[in-house]
Amino acid sequence: MVDTKVKEALDHVRAGAQELHGTISDAAAKRGGAVKADLEAVGQKAKAVAESVKSSIDTQNEAAKKLLAEAATHIEAVQKHAAEGLKSTGHAFEASVRQTLAGARASVQKVSEAVAAMRSAESTKTRK
Amino acid sequence: MHNYIAVVFDDTSKAYEGLHTLWQLDSDGEVTVHGTTVVHRDDWGQYQVDTKETHPALATAVGVGVGVLLGALAGPAGAAVGAAGGAAIGAATGGVVGLTADLPRADTRDQAAVETRFVLGAGQSAVIADVSEDWTSPIDTRMRSLGGTVYRRSWSALRDDAWFDDNIASYLYPYEYIPPRYPRD
Repeated sequence: MVDTKVKEALDHVRAGAQELHGTISDAAAKRGGAVKADLEAVGQKAKAVAESVKSSIDTQNEAAKKLLAEAATHIEAVQKHAAEGLKSTGHAFEASVRQTLAGARASVQKVSEAVAAMRSAESTKTRK
Repeated sequence: MHNYIAVVFDDTSKAYEGLHTLWQLDSDGEVTVHGTTVVHRDDWGQYQVDTKETHPALATAVGVGVGVLLGALAGPAGAAVGAAGGAAIGAATGGVVGLTADLPRADTRDQAAVETRFVLGAGQSAVIADVSEDWTSPIDTRMRSLGGTVYRRSWSALRDDAWFDDNIASYLYPYEYIPPRYPRD
């Protein structure tokens, strides 16, 4: 059986990544668009999610580890684009918001696939 | 198994019940849901997809992306319909229906229907989802109990379609998103 703490850690990472996407997608969808305060908040959330992803990688199975490593790469891109957005204006700012959103979406996908890999491994063990 | 599914319901409220149930199955660990959206077809045959986007160009991009995915779900003939018809899928944002264009020709739609039987009829709504499932019965059973019909294509089969691109998943929300205009219960 998969350790409950390992499962909870991954669920926590996923919830954080989903929240990150929710924050940036809500900001991007606002009439008038996102503002710098939104990107600042996203950058801080992304930092927290990146830390939780990195701390959970070693406890997972190989398939989940690989997916979490890919998620970590996407979250680093989110941090980079959010930071760039804070220094830009106009179209460049809007481009940073879109890139931040795309990175956040890609990171949730990878974390979610890691959750699926963990659940599938657990299910296989249970059936044996 | 990594699959894309479309669950067709006769009305919108049932579709949102289906959406909620799908995410509940995820919370219970029965399946893992990577992303979802809800598509409607109105009484005049026009498609709308629910999105947060308020900017017309971005909302249209969502409509085109989901249109391609719907076409891909309908199989090889449907892939061509979906790509051509992507622009025909508007995005409903804040109760406002987005851009629409001509629907695909009826004979092409009929061909897609014969091949896969995935058709969203006028007045119907569908939950579109990207899921990982070890067996299909949890989703099939729960959706059938709500009056939904499940259509399924594997992620690997979709990837082989010429129209598929990796950005498709990005048009699906990675959590339960219900637009504010729809009641939650």
